Amino acid sequence: MTPEEVLKAQQEGAAVLDLRTPKRFATEHLEGAINLQFNRADLVDRAEMVLPEDLKLVVHGEPEAIGKMAAKLLEEGGFTVLGHLEGGLKGWKEAGYNTVTLPTVDVDTLHESLGEWAVVDARDRFEFRYGRVPGSTILSWTEAWEGASDFQDPGKPVAVICGDEVRSSLVASILARLGHKPSLVMGGMVDWIDRDYEQEKG
Amino acid sequence: MIFKQFRYEPVNQASYLIGCARAKECFIVDPIDDLGVDFYIMEAADLNQTIVGVLETHLHADYVSCARELAEANDCPHYVYKSAPAKYEFTPLEDGQVLQVGEVKVKAIHTPGHTPEHTCYLVIDGARTDEPWAVLTGDSLFVGDVGRPDLLVGDQALDVMGEEERAQTQYRSIKEKLFTLPDHVEVFPNHYGGSACGGVNMSGKASSTIYFEKKFNLALAQPDAEAFGKFVKETAKPLPDNYGRIKSYNLGLIEKEEIAEAGV
Repeated sequence: MTPEEVLKAQQEGAAVLDLRTPKRFATEHLEGAINLQFNRADLVDRAEMVLPEDLKLVVHGEPEAIGKMAAKLLEEGGFTVLGHLEGGLKGWKEAGYNTVTLPTVDVDTLHESLGEWAVVDARDRFEFRYGRVPGSTILSWTEAWEGASDFQDPGKPVAVICGDEVRSSLVASILARLGHKPSLVMGGMVDWIDRDYEQEKG
Repeated sequence: MIFKQFRYEPVNQASYLIGCARAKECFIVDPIDDLGVDFYIMEAADLNQTIVGVLETHLHADYVSCARELAEANDCPHYVYKSAPAKYEFTPLEDGQVLQVGEVKVKAIHTPGHTPEHTCYLVIDGARTDEPWAVLTGDSLFVGDVGRPDLLVGDQALDVMGEEERAQTQYRSIKEKLFTLPDHVEVFPNHYGGSACGGVNMSGKASSTIYFEKKFNLALAQPDAEAFGKFVKETAKPLPDNYGRIKSYNLGLIEKEEIAEAGV
């Protein structure tokens, strides 16, 4: 699909599924895009766990071969895929359309200023129980689509965390679609545990 | 570290993915067109890796490379040793230069012989130790054999060394630059088994160690460079099919459509 067709589809309610890495997604993406990092093994399984089946999708993968492969797999899995973004982000910008960023925060900065953040954990519930950033709340990625609509603005900046960045970026992108302004924690719990920062358990 | 060997059995060719599990970025080494650009993109994506560099040990004569297209598709550099006589733009490597993804380092070791620009890549996983773990030996050191020195295209400007000189240079490169690596270093070649790039003693096993090859490689057991050159010539296989035109394409002298044309 051309950038113009993608924009029109978005306006008619389709969602852009951005298949790139969270790092690249955070740097720049289409407004409203959902970040679900691609791999062939379980892309469809993860999509089924997160997205409503009647949501029409436009996929954005780079290189484009990833977009084409994802469109095929998602369609085989029962999703409606309208097409893939031709020309990628470069083509989108050349067509004169805007992009947005997802702000990031590293674990050291988060740790130093923990009181100023509302930390949202995007992992599975068992991982959250096992060990988490003190004071964090859970919005597990599998429950994020419904959960995000009930999400109350905590009155301070939201930082979304997972093990690395894959599930946190997904949840942050879903929150951002609804007008929230989350930040993505780079390095996630792996870095947090690496630094030996305190954890809350149970 | 993430390390994956891709074997393309029809020509006994091996290409590689070397990446950092934490940084999620990787290099692809010696990609083959028969597997194709999309193959490497999908394999990298399946490992949650982004391709940030495409490396070649040398410009190949026995298979069509897709390094240029793969680098273009990923908008990343295509690295070849600086002296490579290619007619297209690439990112030149120096001897000893280190490329890095996260905690994984890849160090270029210029090992002329099979071709003048031939370069091996030493792999270091800094997450474990600064000691090297493996070396991608391209067409210099094979498992049980060595890369042949006689795949010349017949162009004096490109064939800067003759066959004899290449053989002796190959001997010195391996003895002085590879056999001086720690014994534990694993060896991962560009070819194995029946590949026409080596001689009759090449093993079907696609990996070895420096120690094992020092001990049991028949070509390198020769007493000097001259005897080595003679041995390599005597144990060579027939030349690979259409190597002149394949090499010409990999040098950027002809288009892909011209590879299969007259002269086969």
